[in-house]
Amino acid sequence: MRFLSKRCRQAMPKLWIIIKREYLTRVRSKMFLWTTLGLPVVSLGLLALVVFTATLRVRHPLQIAIVDRTGNLGRDVLHNLDAKLPDGRPMFDVVATLESPTPAAEQRLLREVARGRLSGYLVLPRALLDGRQAAEFHTRNPEFLTVVGPLQRAVGDAVIAQRLRQRGLKVGNVQQVIRGVGLKMIKVTRAGQVVEHGRTFVTAMVVGMLLYVTLIAYGMTTMRAVVEEKSTRIIEILIASVRPFYLLAGKILGVAGAALTQYLIWAGVAVLLGTYGRALATLARPGVSPPTFHISLALGIYSVVFFLAGYLLYASLYAAIGAMVSSEQDAQQIQLPVTLLIVVSFLLFDFILRNPNSPVAVTLSVIPFLSPILMVLRIAVETPPFWQIALSLGLSLVATVGVVQISARIYRVGVLMQGKRPSLVEIWRWLRYT
Amino acid sequence: MLTVKVGFAVLGGADGELMSDAVVLEHVTKRFDMREVVKDLSLTIRQGALFGLLGPNGAGKTTTLRMMMRILIPDEGRIEILGQPLSDRSQDLIGYLPEERGLYPRMEVLQVLVFLGALKGLPEAEAERRARQWLERLGLSEWARRKVNDLSKGMQQKAQFIAAALHQPSLMILDEPFTGLDPVNATLLKDIMLELRSHGVTLILSTHRMEQVEMMCDSICLIHQGRNVLSGELRAIKRAYGKNVLRIEYEGEDGFLHLPALIEKVNHYGGVAEIKLCPQADPQEILRAAVARGVRITRFELMEPPLNEIFIEKVSASDAQAVDHH
Repeated sequence: MRFLSKRCRQAMPKLWIIIKREYLTRVRSKMFLWTTLGLPVVSLGLLALVVFTATLRVRHPLQIAIVDRTGNLGRDVLHNLDAKLPDGRPMFDVVATLESPTPAAEQRLLREVARGRLSGYLVLPRALLDGRQAAEFHTRNPEFLTVVGPLQRAVGDAVIAQRLRQRGLKVGNVQQVIRGVGLKMIKVTRAGQVVEHGRTFVTAMVVGMLLYVTLIAYGMTTMRAVVEEKSTRIIEILIASVRPFYLLAGKILGVAGAALTQYLIWAGVAVLLGTYGRALATLARPGVSPPTFHISLALGIYSVVFFLAGYLLYASLYAAIGAMVSSEQDAQQIQLPVTLLIVVSFLLFDFILRNPNSPVAVTLSVIPFLSPILMVLRIAVETPPFWQIALSLGLSLVATVGVVQISARIYRVGVLMQGKRPSLVEIWRWLRYT
Repeated sequence: MLTVKVGFAVLGGADGELMSDAVVLEHVTKRFDMREVVKDLSLTIRQGALFGLLGPNGAGKTTTLRMMMRILIPDEGRIEILGQPLSDRSQDLIGYLPEERGLYPRMEVLQVLVFLGALKGLPEAEAERRARQWLERLGLSEWARRKVNDLSKGMQQKAQFIAAALHQPSLMILDEPFTGLDPVNATLLKDIMLELRSHGVTLILSTHRMEQVEMMCDSICLIHQGRNVLSGELRAIKRAYGKNVLRIEYEGEDGFLHLPALIEKVNHYGGVAEIKLCPQADPQEILRAAVARGVRITRFELMEPPLNEIFIEKVSASDAQAVDHH
């Protein structure tokens, strides 16, 4: 009796011990630390860069001069240079307008700019009006992109107003006349919600890329963990204590735990940023709203669920590959077909995002191996009917059960094999060993 | 037979377990791709024995041990460990030092030992306490918190022995335990093995180094090409061969050794000769022949054949038989 109950209790704790060691080893590794910190830091950096460049504004009024070779546009341009700084002061302080410039006068302006006493001077060439020549702004800081808009608008408006006048039309505010129309793509979802298309596109891309990268990274981690136990030969001590199946399961689940931990940390950072990021950005650069993308709770949960489904499937394959070989170099060679399976999903990103509800997209998104990424892409763009999500998960699960059985057989025989890589015929024989 | 054993275990309790053998193999066969690696192997190892499993390279020793460990499942026959058929539980009763050795290179020594102890069912605190004791005993306590990678090969091997002994198994299987150890550490390990045996632990030792087996083991099994060629108590085996080996140390010409009527085989070491006598040969005649030729004898001893001799004879006899069969 005592033995019987003990035996029942034993399998689970052993599995648990394997999971625990694997999890702690992965979570304590430098790789984990770098990637966990790396993603938020890199995305924060990108965000900061976007915010920074968007707000790279002129702080003080720029002292400029206008060199008007047309003889009649200068006054209008001067009038149109009414852009304001964030603090309300005018952006441009025009210190001189040369209506009939001499080369000597222009030389003087050039020297002033070179010495930094003048921010720049705007040249309106003679053929500006008929569009054969462009206006020029001579400055030491041509990368100062925030001044381009106001300058271009001022000159453009003046030229258009002049052209209209020549055709007998007198216009006060040119902008009011030439204002164009935009076209916004508004997507109507099945539930009748209205979503701006660009934003969901970015969200889908981000989530899809994250799944793509983590599936490969954690799949390969599992493979390397298996190879390490073989190449260091500790494997024989392990399977003298634990059934190979539990060892395989423990490895896969331990790595999955590390992956989930990483996702959790990232999600936490994302939530923090969502809550405080805008406030922080506004604090640093008043008057600017940073670019945002939104991951709904449902999308977040689906992403994790599909990541797990995909990870179990791919990690079993990667583990089987690890069990076939004796060194990491050999593993690198034969893991390619498995990695290519994930890459196929990546190549289908564009198609799925453009046609998320086409019959082909629906079919692709329920096929195991493709479904983990493609279904999440579809969910991100527009939540498909639940039966499709359920079917996708169900088929993935069925495939996982099949793959795990095959992998466990390969693993059981393979972990004891050392030396040269087995041929396909040999692997077929392994599958039929008792 | 089986019912009798179970009966003992039930009726006799702890005594019943003592009565059962440590390991019983009955007609065990293992094939890989139609190649029979172990053929119809039967053998019994009594509890408390220091048992030597011998055989040339590729004889099937490691496969046999792996089947005892339930790493491999035999195609035919049955195996009993400590009176019970193989199960997950039987794995935990055995301490195993495989020939293919290794530990996680980037883990701390103590951590690996605790992990491996826990896998054998020890609570972690207890595993750590025992691991520290063992590390102390084997002179590795300063290395407890170092990475396995930092240890020398010999030290790693000692750590591995600890991993096998940590859960106090009543049966230990050690595959080539001395390879890679310097004489000092080999002696240390040998002393520990003898001490374990004095506490009633059954030790199975697989090796092809005869001199160790000869000095340590009380019973052996010699397997060749997967078959049991010779097994039993070491002393009984040697006695069966009789004192038919003559060891002579001498000064002078070795011409007196050409006595084909008396001498079957000579192992010559220059000044020392190990002579296998023909049946019914009288060693006195060899002594007489030596004296007649003016050779000085410094040592003249009639003794049992060394295990090495028996090993070679048995293996070549078995090979000859195999040739005959073909």
